[in-house]
Amino acid sequence: MIFTTVDFLARAQVDRETLEIWIEEEWLFPNETTPERAFTEADLARAQLIRDLMDDLGVNAEGVGVVLNLVDQVHGLRNVLAEVVASARAR
Amino acid sequence: MKDPYEVLGVARTAAPDDIRKAYRRLAKKLHPDLNPGDKQAEARFKEVATANDLLSDPDKRQKFDSGEIDASGAERPRQQYYKDFAGGGAGAGSPYENSSGYADFADGEDLFAELFRRQAGQARRMRGPDLHYRLAISFLDAVNGATQRLTLPDGGSLDVTIPAGIQEGQTLRLRGKGAPVRGEGEPGDALVEISINPHRFFVRHDDDIHIELPITLSEAVLGARIKTPTPTGAVMLTVPKGSNTGAILRLKGKGVARRGGHGDELVKLKVMLPSEPNAELEAFLATWAPASSDDPRKDMVS
Repeated sequence: MIFTTVDFLARAQVDRETLEIWIEEEWLFPNETTPERAFTEADLARAQLIRDLMDDLGVNAEGVGVVLNLVDQVHGLRNVLAEVVASARAR
Repeated sequence: MKDPYEVLGVARTAAPDDIRKAYRRLAKKLHPDLNPGDKQAEARFKEVATANDLLSDPDKRQKFDSGEIDASGAERPRQQYYKDFAGGGAGAGSPYENSSGYADFADGEDLFAELFRRQAGQARRMRGPDLHYRLAISFLDAVNGATQRLTLPDGGSLDVTIPAGIQEGQTLRLRGKGAPVRGEGEPGDALVEISINPHRFFVRHDDDIHIELPITLSEAVLGARIKTPTPTGAVMLTVPKGSNTGAILRLKGKGVARRGGHGDELVKLKVMLPSEPNAELEAFLATWAPASSDDPRKDMVS
């Protein structure tokens, strides 16, 4: 599913200014399509994660970038691990 | 349903601040996005979050303490987590995925290094969108090749190198000149579709250039050396004696560049009478009595 900016703001419960900061910080990379940005469900879930980190877990703005970078690396590692396991099983 | 105080590990008399601290301590350990793949952590987090929803709201906590509601009433609707979009292969190629955690493993020559490289390549393949443009060029630029500057809608410009012999409707791909993308991905490509404006007298068929060349009556009858335009400049063309309208002369290699050489230019002759009536010519022809009569319409006689 693809969301417009207005849709995304409502679902993620963030204001426009905050969203711009998150994109500026490269916490979110929506598709920069014309005439409007397009947000995916992954973008939405990631916004929810950012809110959890800041609101529930007390992570400050500097920390969010660190956490997201590590989370992205973990997913990179998990995906490559899944592939390695699949190829080992296939032999 | 477990007792929310037990789940958070706080006393029934705990202050709101203690509850918040207890929740935060557990959430840091158990948040599903910080434990991708750990089902147990996810289940425990759900309990913890439900307990926190109940106890952090003074109204609900009071009702729970007095027995008006039980813990199940506060159960949280299932939320989707980021890991559901990023993990287990679903996220391969996601713009967020980062290969720096295993890039060093991709250096070797074995099977695993190959796998790591492929996976890293997949993440990198997430690139910016391609942008489409149209560019109209002159006939001669299409035949001879040229560099054209394309002005973009955003005010920028793009130098497009047109290879000699480009065809109408052909699309040139300019690597990395498309839209950029945030994150690790590379920009997309610019795709430039070429249209070719027609020429005043050259016409192209495949790799050959066709042209109609007007000649005078005396050039046609007596033969001549005639300056003839080609896409790369004029050349001298020998018109043999007695060349008629419709005769085609071939200029080898003066056509469009192709693999291993060039096409030809085909010159079609067109005999032109003087544009004004010419008394001398009329007088001469009136006295001209050819010995054998040549009927150009003999095929039409029935």
